[in-house]
Amino acid sequence: MKKILTFLVFFGSFTAFSQEKFTLSGTISEAETGETLIGVNVIIPSLQTGTVTNQYGYYSITLPKGEYEIVYSSIGFAAQKVKVSLSENVKKDLALTTDTESLDEVIIEANNERLNIRSSQMSANTLSTTTIKKIPVVLGEVDVIKAITLLPGVTSAGEGASGFNIRGGAADQNLILLDEATLYNSSHLFGFFSVFNPDAIKDLTLYKGGIPARYGGRISSVLDIYQKDGNKREYHASGGIGLVASRLLLEGPIKRDEASFLIGGRSSYAHLFLPLFDNDNIAYFYDLNAKLSYNLNDNNRLYLSGYFGRDVFEISDSFANSFGNTTLNLRWNHLFSDKLFSNLSLIYSDYYYGLELKFVEFNFDSGIRNFNLKYDFSHYISNDVDLRYGINSIYYKFNPGDVTPTTEDSGINPFKLTDKYAWENAAYVDAEIELSDKISVQAGLRLSTFNRLGQDELFLYENDNPIIYNPSLDIYQKAKPIDTVSFGRSETIKSFANLEPRFAISYLLNEDSSIKASYNRMTQYIHLISNTTSPTPFDIYAPSGKYIEPQLADQVALGYFRNFENYSLEVETFYKKVKNRLDYVDDADLIANDAVEQILLNGEARAYGLEMLFRKNTGKFQGWIAYTLSKSEQRTPGRTPVESGINNGEWYNSPWDKTHDISITGQYELTNKWSFGANFIFQTGIPTTYPEGQYEYNGVIVPVYGARNSSRLSSYNRLDLSATWTPKPDSNKRWKGEWVFSIYNAYNRKNAASISFRENTDINQNEAVRLSIFGIIPSVTYNFKF
Amino acid sequence: MKKLFLLVIFFGIFSSCEDVIDVALNDAPPRLVVEANLNVWENGTSQASVRLTTTAPFFNNGVPFITDATVTVTDENGTVYPFTYFENGFYTANLVPQLNIEYTLSIIYKDETYTATETLYTVSPLEFVEQRNDGGFTGEDIELKAFFTDPAGERNFYFFEGISERGDVLDVYNDEFFDGNTIFGYYLVEDLAPADEVQFNIYGVSEAYYNFMFILLQQTGGGGGPFETQPATVRGNIINETNPDNYPLGYFRVSEVSTLNYTVQ
Repeated sequence: MKKILTFLVFFGSFTAFSQEKFTLSGTISEAETGETLIGVNVIIPSLQTGTVTNQYGYYSITLPKGEYEIVYSSIGFAAQKVKVSLSENVKKDLALTTDTESLDEVIIEANNERLNIRSSQMSANTLSTTTIKKIPVVLGEVDVIKAITLLPGVTSAGEGASGFNIRGGAADQNLILLDEATLYNSSHLFGFFSVFNPDAIKDLTLYKGGIPARYGGRISSVLDIYQKDGNKREYHASGGIGLVASRLLLEGPIKRDEASFLIGGRSSYAHLFLPLFDNDNIAYFYDLNAKLSYNLNDNNRLYLSGYFGRDVFEISDSFANSFGNTTLNLRWNHLFSDKLFSNLSLIYSDYYYGLELKFVEFNFDSGIRNFNLKYDFSHYISNDVDLRYGINSIYYKFNPGDVTPTTEDSGINPFKLTDKYAWENAAYVDAEIELSDKISVQAGLRLSTFNRLGQDELFLYENDNPIIYNPSLDIYQKAKPIDTVSFGRSETIKSFANLEPRFAISYLLNEDSSIKASYNRMTQYIHLISNTTSPTPFDIYAPSGKYIEPQLADQVALGYFRNFENYSLEVETFYKKVKNRLDYVDDADLIANDAVEQILLNGEARAYGLEMLFRKNTGKFQGWIAYTLSKSEQRTPGRTPVESGINNGEWYNSPWDKTHDISITGQYELTNKWSFGANFIFQTGIPTTYPEGQYEYNGVIVPVYGARNSSRLSSYNRLDLSATWTPKPDSNKRWKGEWVFSIYNAYNRKNAASISFRENTDINQNEAVRLSIFGIIPSVTYNFKF
Repeated sequence: MKKLFLLVIFFGIFSSCEDVIDVALNDAPPRLVVEANLNVWENGTSQASVRLTTTAPFFNNGVPFITDATVTVTDENGTVYPFTYFENGFYTANLVPQLNIEYTLSIIYKDETYTATETLYTVSPLEFVEQRNDGGFTGEDIELKAFFTDPAGERNFYFFEGISERGDVLDVYNDEFFDGNTIFGYYLVEDLAPADEVQFNIYGVSEAYYNFMFILLQQTGGGGGPFETQPATVRGNIINETNPDNYPLGYFRVSEVSTLNYTVQ
């Protein structure tokens, strides 16, 4: 009864009932470095309850007056048991020491897992950098994105593809956050490397479903990554030297225990070898992470973080291309009381893409820029109820393209595609409630709005139809604008508002297992217009407006979670439906298109599947097996019964649909000098469109294509192996190093990235040519820390 | 972008590759393919030809010709120009296309009638060719630029051909970014050497033809780039009046042409 009343009265403050209650709160950090720790379990065994630290290491729980033993535990750290006498509000900060083996480990694990089983959060995976660093990857470089593709429900569109796909969703439907700032491109060099320097990362969580109300703006997933703050005790450096790229991170205190800095950089340099092959082209990337943290006092902390990354390509003297993300954010943690934690973020984020065609003498610049304000509150009302609420406001400026001639006698005229502006706002409230010993609920509501702001030169069409169907040729054609209007920047061309309910519930079957269910409604207002099967950096973001509707997704998921002594099992099934999924008509022309509405049709998408994750989390041998069985498809019917739509209005496979996806990864610590790792991946081939014939026109052979995405490439499979050698594991010296030997694609399978059909002019015969990108790649990296 | 992509693959990896594989493909039923061009030069010479073939299974060698169709072009004044079969699927006639006159193509094949309508698009003449011996992506190839001046203030679309024994280059241009300027058609083939003969042709075309050829060239690997579309069979401007579902491929184009012959220095 008490708990139900508590549930009803959770707005604002309320008085205790017959018992006095006090709050235990504090910040948990790592003893050696002073880094705050995310997701540390704070368990009160006697009450069968507990909480976890938030993204800033803060926890707060309100309990009845009494004496308690509190257990603080987290994987990789020695657990601590603390006796607390709660007769008034108690502030307990704690420092945990890293721990490689512990006798209590199994018991502590059980406590950790119990909390995970009970929590209503499902469809989420948290990976620590220790886990990520053990997974063998291409060229010996640890890669966050490649690590998450080993989880169920996560795939990429193929080698060389930028971005990743979650539960059948498109690559632009993932919200990627680095210290709360949005990133628009998650990889370097066409997907070979991710933009995340693994040394700078503290923690990452991937939400594939059951997305809490505090996140919004993308419909398929949230990849929430937090960087380290920087060691507040001592100066340290860490890094790695590899065959293709190297990295270095420096961190240390500015004022011991109060302020710290962190600065890291990475760069590739393999292009420097190209001149040896008579090739003076250039391809490299670099990125820079920087952070300043300052604890003003017990209740206030400031963080200033920045990220800058670029990819650079140059083909001899004729063509130069560079693109990348920039972010800068200022965050202020403030404790209003020990029950009310807040974080205010001011963020600037920029994605730039530039092209210089020297032989035609012009520059092309495009990009997206945004200013973002977020104010998030965590209100720890009682031990059964945690409330989160806040607001989020983003102002966008989209530059679809700016063409400028580089010389006076260039044949190209300057040209500017119209800038677009938008303002996205959201407010949310979210409650996590323990209804009873067995039932835990997360119920939230997010209200999001989007205003497409005024711009110069908006095209108007007859009947508001930017695209016309020509029935005699059975094709869609661009409509000619009948007028062009300009709006003032503070005017609104079109606005949207959507309510996004988010609901999740878990039911504890017994101490070791539970079932969970969730429903979420997500809205997405900006869309990546990409006509290729996987995103390229050249793809442009288009905001919703007069001709483009926001995407709306509904996802339901149901799961069963079970812990065994050293293993855990998660089985989930999901169904996702998306409205207003855009697709291009056949033969769409995207180059410098000022009016994408003329080539887009509105349709729907759906995905459903079964995911299974079986993990071993303890002991010398650790790893997991992930299996996903799923289907992802789209349908774009004509707007009237006469129109054919795309693929005659029938369902067709999304370009990233993979029926089976099996990932097995394992790490084995043989001794403290040697450890080994392996990955095995097997996936159904991606859909593709094959020709069904050929014809000749003007002396060229042209393939005749079949239905969109109706064929498949052959399956994708590979084995990766790695061995890590630590020469002096027990050394007391400050310098610690290890060698990582790895082989990517150990049996050298030629996985098809694409198959192109063309004429072999030497023998005048058509051929199917398979492009495979990675054969067997051995590599060596030396990682160090001092 | 293909080159860019391959460049990225190359660095440090050395193990990516392209290889020819066997793929089992479906064979769609054959469809009529029409290559109908009415060309006229500034000096009054003309060439009118219609080539009829059908589609064939993808791995076949060559496409079948159609020798038994009835081909005519009628202008808006009612004058009928009959075409007679020549060889290799080509039908020819004596026709000098004029400005501002609508021409209608009619093909009767297997009891079905296919029609299309077009008008003449003019073109600016090719003026001169500039040669550079350190061009191309490797900086070592001979590259040629054939210059012409685009008329200012009107939308113009061009189809460009550079033809020689070393290889042909086909491209389409639209003057959105170079309206009124002197611009060039770009010709680059491997192993171009001094004394090679190259013929440059530039045709004035409609916007619809520009879109048609743009997609076509992408699908044949002649265009390509980061803007590649989902492949789908590109339709032209010819319809089957008898049976609309049995639409033909290809295009009926009426163009003014400018030709420039050049010998590589």
